[in-house]
Amino acid sequence: MKSQLEAIKASAIAAVNAANDQAEIEALRVQYLGKKGELTAILKQMGSLSPEERPVMGQLVNEAKAVVEGLITEKTAAMKAKAQEEKLKAETIDITLPAKPVKKGKLHPLNTVLDDMIDIFVSMGFDVVDGPEVETDHYNFECLNVPADHPARDMQDTFYLGENLLLRTQTSAAQIRTMENRKPPIRVICPGRVFRADEVDATHSPVFHQIEGLVVDKGITMCDLKGVLEQFAQEIYGKDTQVKFRPSFFPFTEPSVEVDVTCSECGGKGCRVCKGSGWIEILGAGMVHPNVLKSCGIDPEEYSGFAFGIGLDRLTTTRYKISDIRLLFENDKRFLDQF
Amino acid sequence: MKISLNTLKYYVDINTSVEELCNKMVMAGFEVESIEKQGDNLVNVVVGKIEKITPHENSDHLQICQINIGKDELVQIVTGAQNVFEGALVPAALDDSYLPCGAHIVKGKLRGVESNGMLCSGEELCITENDYEGASVNGILILKDNEVIGTDMREVLGMDDYIIDFKITANRPDCNCFIGVAKEISVVLGTEFKAPVPTYKTVGESINDYVSIDVQNYDLCPRYIGRVVKNLRIKESPDWMQKAIIASGMRPINNIVDITNFVMLETGQPMHAFNYNDLANKQIIVRNAAIGEKITTLDGKDYNLTPDMLVIADGEKPSCLAGIMGGKESEIEADTTDLFLECAKFRRDNIRHTGRALGIRTESSGRFEKGVDIVNVEYAMERALQLISDLDAGDIIDGVIDCNNGLPEDRILTVTTDKIIELLGVKVPDDEIVKILNSLGLETTIDGKTLTTKVPSIRDDIEGRADLAEEVMRIYGYDKIVSTAMNGSVMRGRKLPERIKTDKIKALMLSAGAYEIATYSFIASKAIDTLLLAEDDVRRNQIKIINPLGDEYSTMRTQLTTSLLTVLATNINKKINEGRFFEISKRFIAKSLPITEQPEEIPTMSIGIYGSDEDFFSLKGIIEAICQLCGAHTQYERSSEPYLHPGRQALVKANNVECAVFGELHPTVASTYGIDTKVYIAEIKLDVLLGINKRKTVYKPLPKFPAVERDFAMLCDSDIPVGNLEKAISQGAGRLLEKIELFDIYQGAQIPEGKKSVAFSVYLRSADSTLTDKEIEDVNGKIIKKLESIGAELRK
Repeated sequence: MKSQLEAIKASAIAAVNAANDQAEIEALRVQYLGKKGELTAILKQMGSLSPEERPVMGQLVNEAKAVVEGLITEKTAAMKAKAQEEKLKAETIDITLPAKPVKKGKLHPLNTVLDDMIDIFVSMGFDVVDGPEVETDHYNFECLNVPADHPARDMQDTFYLGENLLLRTQTSAAQIRTMENRKPPIRVICPGRVFRADEVDATHSPVFHQIEGLVVDKGITMCDLKGVLEQFAQEIYGKDTQVKFRPSFFPFTEPSVEVDVTCSECGGKGCRVCKGSGWIEILGAGMVHPNVLKSCGIDPEEYSGFAFGIGLDRLTTTRYKISDIRLLFENDKRFLDQF
Repeated sequence: MKISLNTLKYYVDINTSVEELCNKMVMAGFEVESIEKQGDNLVNVVVGKIEKITPHENSDHLQICQINIGKDELVQIVTGAQNVFEGALVPAALDDSYLPCGAHIVKGKLRGVESNGMLCSGEELCITENDYEGASVNGILILKDNEVIGTDMREVLGMDDYIIDFKITANRPDCNCFIGVAKEISVVLGTEFKAPVPTYKTVGESINDYVSIDVQNYDLCPRYIGRVVKNLRIKESPDWMQKAIIASGMRPINNIVDITNFVMLETGQPMHAFNYNDLANKQIIVRNAAIGEKITTLDGKDYNLTPDMLVIADGEKPSCLAGIMGGKESEIEADTTDLFLECAKFRRDNIRHTGRALGIRTESSGRFEKGVDIVNVEYAMERALQLISDLDAGDIIDGVIDCNNGLPEDRILTVTTDKIIELLGVKVPDDEIVKILNSLGLETTIDGKTLTTKVPSIRDDIEGRADLAEEVMRIYGYDKIVSTAMNGSVMRGRKLPERIKTDKIKALMLSAGAYEIATYSFIASKAIDTLLLAEDDVRRNQIKIINPLGDEYSTMRTQLTTSLLTVLATNINKKINEGRFFEISKRFIAKSLPITEQPEEIPTMSIGIYGSDEDFFSLKGIIEAICQLCGAHTQYERSSEPYLHPGRQALVKANNVECAVFGELHPTVASTYGIDTKVYIAEIKLDVLLGINKRKTVYKPLPKFPAVERDFAMLCDSDIPVGNLEKAISQGAGRLLEKIELFDIYQGAQIPEGKKSVAFSVYLRSADSTLTDKEIEDVNGKIIKKLESIGAELRK
């Protein structure tokens, strides 16, 4: 009986090892381990053994079953792995085929740049406020130290809508509304649309956009203005960017400055973009004029502040090297898709 | 303000290069618009001697010249001029030369004969007799015998000057002149400023015997000075004066006119010369024009005057538009013998108004508009008389008539240096502050920390410490301003809630594949007509711009749709076959017309989509998503916008408030815009959506019990909206309803004419228990009953 068992075990191992596919293995499992299988049959002959032999023989049969079972499991796993490997190989694809597009729209480039600027200024503690586009003469000019018939009005050709009503020529008007409604310390930016009677061409548009900044507090200096603008410029143009102040004139700031930054194209060495100067003019700024503070009910002896106005359209066209400002308002999808 | 460098050198020592001078002036607040080197446009033209002339075989007027230009070989040049002769010295433009008229000369062949350049006329060199004798001759310019062969023509013509164009800011009208700029240069370079000190001879007599002056409106004319010069000797002005005038962009005329113009350029103070003998009654009256008065100005144009305009009249009529332009009748001409000379200050806003009203702007009016100094008026007159005397242009009568209501005193400002430094943040030493202010003509003393500064009337831009701070800093150097971090309280930046919400809507639109567009806030006045709106539609109440750039940009928009349609048309016409676009901007709604107060500026959104995958329901999906984002519960109703397809448009209500209209564009409107495909557009009242307070989100437990799905296939009249069926199901199902899904709408075979089959899956669920068969049957029954009540029956 023992030798019979050994023979069955040996033939089972040989058969399993020789098997070529899973069906064959399954058949062998039934043949040896099934209810009517050969190893099962041996167990059924146990009745003929003595009580002493029975446990010994039982153990041997179970061991043989375990060996065959283990081999079958192993063999099955190997076959499955092989089959999977072949399947995966057959499924190989050409990864250079085009991607399935995810439809994604784009913000208008002006707003992409604006959002960057808002993030920078919000992180510096500036609130973002809005102001009306149709302004009164009072807010757009008078409060900004530009009384009627002041020659500075010639600096800006204004669209009028009615007596004392106009399309704001600068977001500075929002400065006044802010100072009337808030107490210092004030830190705000006001992005928005502004209007000037410029004929449309590659570099002029009667509709454009500014970001006005205003800070009013005790002890604010021109050096603080430079600090804020330098931080801003380095965020926008890179950390090595330098800022240069040139004296200028705006009716609502005194002293006033034009602000240049090192040309981001050539790093200040001089190139076509900066016309060889190494500098690019990016904005006008200055210390809030005492008359402006006064007209908003803020004591210029106690408080000082600065204001700046950044041209968003110029910033956008220089960032993306857009040669013609009209493209911004034409809204060709192929243009909008580039940003 | 264009000034030649040689002119400036007369008033101030310039010990540096032009480039360096300009850099320093820029850093002192005087932007340089351009530096033009004279003769920059005259290149490779030299003095040549005609050694030999031979006739041209193929032409009866061309001649072949052999030119000696001081080199070993002669240069052959063909000319058509007839005034050339052997031995003549002429300007020879060689191969690859440039002329001021813009011509680029290169060698070539003239009727088969090689010509290596061109001989030039005075006209081709853009010069006149003033520049070189013989320049006006018709033909080649024949040079003087003593010119050296081979010399560059720039040297011959004395073109060694630079013309610098300074941009003078509006606060510094005192620098719109040679003296003003020269003074600044002297401070910037630290060199001496040399003001001309006027002295002149008079011939006796008394001005009072010649003329009377009556200023009737001191408000508009705070100062008027008159002098009389007789026995005029009118001729050309000297070369130096002509050059200075030309460099500054004016034209020399004769010595008297040139002197008045030169003095204006030199001192910033305009003057006017009247023909004394044309003054009726020998009277000068400064007054407002009378109703119906007219004047013919120097340029021969006639103007009708109004009483708000100031004129200089003689005893009978206006003789000059004050400060703007003289009258034709009293013009100085070659045969004028006696002169009345005016130097005055006119109020700048009045000059501006008159100039604008009549459409005239002159060098003179420009300066009056910017403002002239009342004290400087006298200096300018003295200077003009000095030039008349020096140039022997006439005999000056004794006496001056100076009409004014008193001259202003110098203003005294006191401010501490601490206050100046406090604003700058730069510790400029006290003695440096005093030194700078004094160098700028602001007489300053210091006592402890307190500055006392005398501000002359010519610097009326200086009002207080901020102005003094700027004066100090621009000379001390803006490059000394360092960057510092602001002191004071730490502040947190915030965006307005509307902006935060709008940003979220934009993000949603991007994820829906839409492109943001930007269009002008003003549109053509007629654009609104393209929407076919009723005559009384409020959107026709548009605000007009009084001074638009043209009709195309004349009207503030009351809607965003026309701008959107233009963008859609642009893209469609460029063969871009699909697209989703949106804009968030403002529409302008007048409270009354014409407007007397600021209009409402209402945040508005437009959406436009087109392409083979798009339909009404794609747009509806976008709108629903936006409404949901804003926390709105939406309802849809049929609407009747005339620019939309009558059967394919809807009004959207957010929490029962109208918030949007959308639909398919009406084909008539589409064709107006040249749109040949179906487009779907929406206009959303963003103010409504932004105003919704979104309910706080509270977590709902996930369902513990299974849902039951029941399908309902209904038969109803084809014109019953599906929305009504859904509403009926919803009412019938009550609180057990989880969701309704439409899965089929069918018309055709097996469905009677005029009917449709609509099938829904209805999901029921209770939060507390598994629904029993009985509960389900009850709800089924209620749903069917509700459906039947609106005319839908269960399909058998």
